Order: sequence, then C-alpha cells, then structure tokens
Amino acid sequence: MIINWYTVIFQIINFIVLVFLLRRFLYGPIIQAMDDREQKIMQREEDAAAKKREAEEESRTYVEKKEELEEKEEEIKEEVRKAADKEKQKMLEEARREVGETRQRWEEAFEREKESFITELRRRIGLQACSVARSCLEDLADSRLEELTWEVFMDKISKLPAEERSSLQEALASDNNRVLLKTTFDSPAEKIKELKKALREIISGANNEPDLSVKTDQTLVCGLELDAGGYRVAWNIDSYLEGVQEHILKELEEEAPTAHKGEVAEGGQTES
Amino acid sequence: MTINPDEIVLFQWSWLVINSTIFFTWLVMFLLTLGSWLVTRKLTSQGQLSRWQNLLEVLINAINGQIREVSRQEPGPYLPFIGTLFIYIAVSNILGIVPGFTPPTGSLSTTAALAISVFIAVPVFGIARQGIINYLLQYIQPTFFMLPFNIIGELSRTLALAVRLYGNIMSGTIIVAILLTITPLIFPVVMQALGLLTGLIQAYIFAILAMVYIASASQAHEEIQKKGEK
Repeated sequence: MIINWYTVIFQIINFIVLVFLLRRFLYGPIIQAMDDREQKIMQREEDAAAKKREAEEESRTYVEKKEELEEKEEEIKEEVRKAADKEKQKMLEEARREVGETRQRWEEAFEREKESFITELRRRIGLQACSVARSCLEDLADSRLEELTWEVFMDKISKLPAEERSSLQEALASDNNRVLLKTTFDSPAEKIKELKKALREIISGANNEPDLSVKTDQTLVCGLELDAGGYRVAWNIDSYLEGVQEHILKELEEEAPTAHKGEVAEGGQTES
Repeated sequence: MTINPDEIVLFQWSWLVINSTIFFTWLVMFLLTLGSWLVTRKLTSQGQLSRWQNLLEVLINAINGQIREVSRQEPGPYLPFIGTLFIYIAVSNILGIVPGFTPPTGSLSTTAALAISVFIAVPVFGIARQGIINYLLQYIQPTFFMLPFNIIGELSRTLALAVRLYGNIMSGTIIVAILLTITPLIFPVVMQALGLLTGLIQAYIFAILAMVYIASASQAHEEIQKKGEK
C-alpha cells in the first residue's frame, strides 16, 4: 500500500492550515490592495469626470459671457457712434453759427470801414473844394483888392452896432488901448491913420490914443483883422471860406447816413 | 532507491512520525507564508508597486481570471482554496529541481490528501451556494436511478485526480532516476527542465479540475431552475 493514511491525514491538516495562512498573508492583503487601488482609480476617474463637467460648464459660461460682452460692445459702439454723430452735428452747428457771427461782424466792420471811408472822402472833397476856392481868391488878391478891403473894413468899424461898439470900448479899456492889426499885405500909412482916427472916436475918455501894432499874416487870404483885448473885428475871405467849409461839412455829415443805407443794401446783394 | 517519500522517516517520537513528505510540506508552507508576509507587509495601493507585489498581483489576477472563466461566477469565495492548491502544487514541483528536495506532491499520500480535500470541498461549496436540499437533489438527476452512478462518478473523479497528480510527479522523478543510471550526463538536465514544465501544467490541471468539479456542483441548482422555468 503506497498510501500512508497517517501521512494523508497530516497532509489534509497541513493543506487546510496552508489555506488559512495564505488567506491571511496573501489573498486578503493583495485583494484588499487591488480593491483599494481600483477604488482610488474609480474615484480619480469620477473626480476627473466631475472636473471635466465643471470645466465644460465653466467654458460654457465663458462663451456666454463672451457673447454677452460682444453684444454689449456692439451696443456701446452704437452709442458711441450716435454720440459722435450728435457731437459732430453740434460742432457743425456751432461752427456754422460762429462762421455766421464772424461773417456778420466782418460785414459790420466792413460797413463801418466803408462808412468811415465815405465820410472821410466827403470831408476831403469839402476841404478840397474850399482849398480850391481859397487858391482862386489868393490868386485874385492884389493891392486894389486890398484897398477895397480896407474900405469895407473901415465901413464895418464905423457902422458897428451900439452893443458891439460898447463891447469894443470895454475891451480896449481893459487892455490899455492896445490893438493888434493883422493884414495880408503891408498896409499904407494913410489907412493906418484912418483906422487910428476911427478908433479914437470909439475910445472915449482922456487918453483916447490907441496903441496900434501891425502884423502881416499870409494865412488871412485877403482881409483884415483887429484884435483888441480878446475882442475881434475882422473882414477877410478866409473867415468866409471857413464858414463855407463848415457849412459844406455839416451838410455832408447830414447826408451821409441816408446815402449809406442804399449802399449797404447794394453791398449785401453783391455778396450773396 | 526509495520511490515513496513517506517511507523516509526523519524524526520519530512515540506515535509521532515526521517523514520526508510532511517535512517538505512544512518547508513549502513556511516558505510560502514567509514570502507572502514579506511582500504583503508593505503593500501600496497607489504610486509605484514593488516588483514582488506586482508578481503576486499578476498571479492572483490570473487565478481569479481562470476561476471566473470556468465557473462564470465571482472568484472571491473560491480563490483561497483553488489558489492554494495551485500555488502549493506549483511551488512543490518547481522546488523539485533543488537537489535534496523531495517534492511532497510525489507522494501518493499527499495527492490523495489533496484529492480528498477537493472531494470534501465540492459538497461544501455546493451546499454553501444552493442549500443542502438542492445540492442533494442533483444526485438524483435526471432520475432517481442515476443516484449510484452519480456517487460512483463523484468518487472516481476524486481518485483520478489523486492518481493523475501522483503519477505525473512521480513519473518525472522516476524517469530522472532511471536516466541517471543510463546517461548520467546532460540528458537528465533536459528531463528536469521538462519536469518543471509538467509540474506547472499539473498544478494548473489539478486546480482547474477542482474548480470544474466545484463549479458543476454549484451550477447544478441554476440548471435545475432554468429547466423548471422552461
């Protein structure tokens, strides 16, 4: 018999013991470790899946946000465009208004310039006219005219109205009978005597001798002028011409505004 | 020349006899337990695995895969039994190449003991899975008259299992012994290498057959149920 039952029983027990030993030291820990690893891998996969979902969610959110931002950008651009248009319109209007104002100012200045030019022109024309008249009279003035002038002057003194006569008297009295005679040409001695005589008649009182000094003045334009203590008796063409000049200028001044209106209207038409 | 390692008595005290088979079985048990303990005391479930842990995981995964394929059930409850059968037989056979080591599987007593273990395990697993009544009912399938044949089948396959393993391991040892007398050089080495292969194949066959028997016992119930449903 090659089967030793004693050994068989021993071996059965040995085998059972070995099963338990290996179960304790081999299968248990190894299976446990493998399960743990599997669990961890599963866990990691789940985590990864969750993270992927999260990432996808986030990415979707970002895409949405991006779209939103793009929309907003469009809106803002539109607004900016509108605002810019408005600003442009406003600036254009402002510019137009300023240009208008400037133009108006310029037109006004132009008008003023024109007016003053015309006024000046008129004044000069007047002065020129007077100067022409004066030249004519100067050319005509000679000793005969001087004689005639003396006659007229003496006549004027002798026929002085009562008021003026007394005024002259007062003036002479206040200046010690000092009298200044301005003439254009040298005066003849008899004419001077005649004048002194006439003055003596005017001056009343003890000392009626006039203190007469004579001065030649070319600016007088054929005439005589008696100056006694601020009082003046004169006859000369210059004074007439002055009066004429004054008169002409006054007339021109008065005429100017009415003439302007027509001219301004004409200017406006040519400009437009 | 001693063929039966049971007869080599190493220690005897009163009725307690420690023969070569028992001694080398203990040695294998010790080596396996020590190796397992050394590897599994520092297991990691993440990061880089140690080389030995990787080896054991591959081994156990392979055993699990085989059990799953044969039984079409979860390998959990069967792993310690089937796995131990395979590892014990394989390690014993491989260590046979070491001079002075007598593989315990070369003793008919050992193979008989393993076959008896399978013989007991089959009904235990069957009953555990489908209950005692359902388990016993399959002995009278398909008819009551099949009962003696079923019992004979059960016994004969246990005997076949024992003798197959014994024959294969023992033959390997005997062939080497015979060849040593004829051609003492080189040729025995080839035979020993072949012996390694046949040793592993035997371990695989023994474990798979044990699983097939256990699976047939625990699947019968499901088959009966399926028939009933039809």
